[in-house]
Amino acid sequence: MILCIAEQRGGKLNRASWETVAAAQQLAAGQPVTVMVAGTNLQSVAAELAAGQVQEVITVENAALEPYTPDGYTAALKSAIEQMSPAFVLLPHTYQTRDFAPKLAARMNRAILTDVTAIKQAGGETAFVRPMFQGKLTADVVPQGPSPHFVTIQIGAYRADQAARSSSAAPIRALPVTLNATEVRQKPEPPFQEARQAVDLSQAERIVSVGRGIKEQANIPIAQKLAEALGAELAASRPICDAGWLPMERQVGSSGQTVAPKLYLALGISGAIQHLVGMKGSSVIVAINKDPDAPIFEVADFGIVGDLFEIVPALTNALKE
Amino acid sequence: MSTIILWLLVLLFAGAFAAQVATRVRLIAAAPNTFSVDDLGARGRRFLVDVVFQRQTIAERPAAGLAHAFVFWGFVAFGGYTVTEFLHGLGIADLTGTRWFYTYRLVLTPLAIAVLAGIVFLLIRRAFVRPVALGDHVSLESIAIGLFISTLMITFLLSWRLDESSLAGRINWWTHLLVILAFLALIPASKHFHLVLSPITVFLKSIELGRVPNLDFEKEQVGLETVKDLGSKAVLDAFTCVECGRCQVNCPAWGAGKALNPKKVILQTQDALLAGKRETKLGEIYSEEVLWQCTTCGACENQCPVGIEHLPLIIGSRRGLVSNGDAPEYLGGVYNHLERRGNIWGLSYDQRQKFVESAALETFDPARHDVLIWLGCAGAFEADFQKSLRSLFEILRGRGVRFGVLSKERCNGDPAKRTGNEYMFQELANGNIEDLKAAGAKKIVTSCPHCVKTIGADYRHFGYQVEIVHSAVFVEELTRGLLGAAAGETVTYHDPCYLARYGGKVDEPRELLSRFGAAVREPIRNRENPYCCGAGGGLLFADKEEEPGSRISDVRFTQLRETGASTVVTACPFCSIMLKGAQSTAGTDLQFVDLMTFVNGRLSKS
Repeated sequence: MILCIAEQRGGKLNRASWETVAAAQQLAAGQPVTVMVAGTNLQSVAAELAAGQVQEVITVENAALEPYTPDGYTAALKSAIEQMSPAFVLLPHTYQTRDFAPKLAARMNRAILTDVTAIKQAGGETAFVRPMFQGKLTADVVPQGPSPHFVTIQIGAYRADQAARSSSAAPIRALPVTLNATEVRQKPEPPFQEARQAVDLSQAERIVSVGRGIKEQANIPIAQKLAEALGAELAASRPICDAGWLPMERQVGSSGQTVAPKLYLALGISGAIQHLVGMKGSSVIVAINKDPDAPIFEVADFGIVGDLFEIVPALTNALKE
Repeated sequence: MSTIILWLLVLLFAGAFAAQVATRVRLIAAAPNTFSVDDLGARGRRFLVDVVFQRQTIAERPAAGLAHAFVFWGFVAFGGYTVTEFLHGLGIADLTGTRWFYTYRLVLTPLAIAVLAGIVFLLIRRAFVRPVALGDHVSLESIAIGLFISTLMITFLLSWRLDESSLAGRINWWTHLLVILAFLALIPASKHFHLVLSPITVFLKSIELGRVPNLDFEKEQVGLETVKDLGSKAVLDAFTCVECGRCQVNCPAWGAGKALNPKKVILQTQDALLAGKRETKLGEIYSEEVLWQCTTCGACENQCPVGIEHLPLIIGSRRGLVSNGDAPEYLGGVYNHLERRGNIWGLSYDQRQKFVESAALETFDPARHDVLIWLGCAGAFEADFQKSLRSLFEILRGRGVRFGVLSKERCNGDPAKRTGNEYMFQELANGNIEDLKAAGAKKIVTSCPHCVKTIGADYRHFGYQVEIVHSAVFVEELTRGLLGAAAGETVTYHDPCYLARYGGKVDEPRELLSRFGAAVREPIRNRENPYCCGAGGGLLFADKEEEPGSRISDVRFTQLRETGASTVVTACPFCSIMLKGAQSTAGTDLQFVDLMTFVNGRLSKS
């Protein structure tokens, strides 16, 4: 049996959990996949997970698991995993997983493979592909030793929408665990909020970003409408935020946020290097600019040389249809 | 009777002087020795110019500087007079009746008038004009010292009129000597200690501006962490400070309203040393915020008339912070980029290769090429600066210069060095030195002043010497005798700190501009004392709006705009980035053009 450990915070499922389910389904090749989620008030998260093509959803409820602590998770999950005896335990390679998973594997004296990008079958063995030397090489690793083997899956390596869903909901079962509150040594403080940053652009999948080419504040809604049509966050380069046309928290670049969305649409941004370093990690960069020599075209995957006031509304309308 | 009283007084006041001096000397002696007397010739010349002839004091503030020079020269001249009078008063020897002494007094008389005029001018300036550099409130001690000096001169002049044996004459004589004694006791604990220390401090100041010696990791050096780590020169500096505030008014961070004030940093050092806070962290003495606001432009150190070196103190303290993991967040990204990609942007080197190919650059071969062109990280990655490099290549090709580039470059290490990440700096420097040696480079040309300074000056301390010149200097020489299009365009020129202040290259860019038909309208803060663009010292990526004060780049941009010129000529990729950023915020339409692009444009038109 393959066990997936989903991640939730405050009753909200981390979307990387579905990526892990997709990986587990590939690895399982017919074997049953079970999803486990830990915390408190898990009903809605469990119901959401039950839509997946999984054997069952296990909830590990305990008051000592809220808020998250590495001690609490390690103790509770160790107890739960020992009751389940899976062949593999898969987790999304999130910050939280990085925090507790090595400790959990060490506590159970089992192997752990982190940041896995793909799973291969080779010569009857299952190999896990993971980057080495800052991503310059990848290695196929076959875990040894007694099961379960812990595997964490790199975010984005599998697609959440690839996780097979089932027409009928999987059963949900609560698994009691022994967790003594005195085992939890950490006392978490309220989560760090970066200067009341209401917008976390770094998590956005799509970003529509405006630069000086937008000319005046009254034109911002043109970009805003495109962002809405795309389901994207609105961002800007430095002069727009300096002028107060958009709040500072929407500034992308070296003096703003560093972003890496799947789609970055740059409208009237010339592409000063301070801006480029803040968005160069985007998967696909589309630039619209009047100036064919604008440096933004150096990094853009797709470039449109033209008037954004003609192109953007047309694009918005096309998307709406 | 009066001889005994004078003996008692002299012992009392000289004792007070000696005790205070001893405290300070002990602190200097207890500090790790950082005194260096290399290059005696240059030190001797500077001593003559800056101490004897008071150049540094007069240059920036001619009126106050000249007044100070009179007081200084008077002081020196009066030395023999004071000694003679004391020898007489103490009953050791009486030379006062000699022909020689009479002549000496005659010579001193015009000087006394000059000193009196000087000190009255300075007193009025300090008490009533009150320039901002001298601090928020009038220093009573300085007023007292000023009145002391005036009294000394007046009593000297009165001595011509009063018979020494009369009561008035006796009072006059005693007043003169008592004031000298009081002065003596006041000196060590006040800014007037500079009159004892500054000749020594000026002599010991590094000849190279902003000399921050490499750390020796074998000796487990990690930089300055606490007060006790401050070297002997830094301790001497702290006691030498004359609080004139030249460092302060020239500091671009202070000018933009930030918390950093170099004068305050030196005075805080002094206070911490005297309070015996040996174990206190420097980040607490100065505040970490202050330490990270320095652009390392070098203005403070360069303008200081008493030989204080601010940069080793600030960069040394940064090293202490960095080695404890206390660097600001934005530097984490920069360090990551340097470590993983070898450049500050974190971009992949394919992009440099793309540029090298599109500009048809050859790999340097000493047999076929005259010079090696060092692209630098801006040249390798920044689109605007690449345009300027293409202009340079055209100029060189047009003049038949054969050049090549390294197949691979890494950052010269300037941002690591100036932000105190010494380990990373040495890694980058050693790697580059190895590559440059292997390539057989004899002469390097670059358009980046930071590369000139780091490769040319800082790499020397690894035992690597190579001739590296800025493109402005190289092209100026190359195009002598040529005439550009006569256009009469008015431009303003922004001197990069690392080219002008560190490198002293201020004439070549101007010569090029006028040779090719531009009238230069000088901004305030130009030539060897420019106002920084805000990018230096690793602050390229720290240019945040939220900080207290305005952006340094905005302040400089305004200064340039106020020249009324429609074109700003730059000669440094980072100045260009910062000032263009300021312009995009200001929403104005000044033209920015790199010097090489300007020259090439004019060359191709002619």
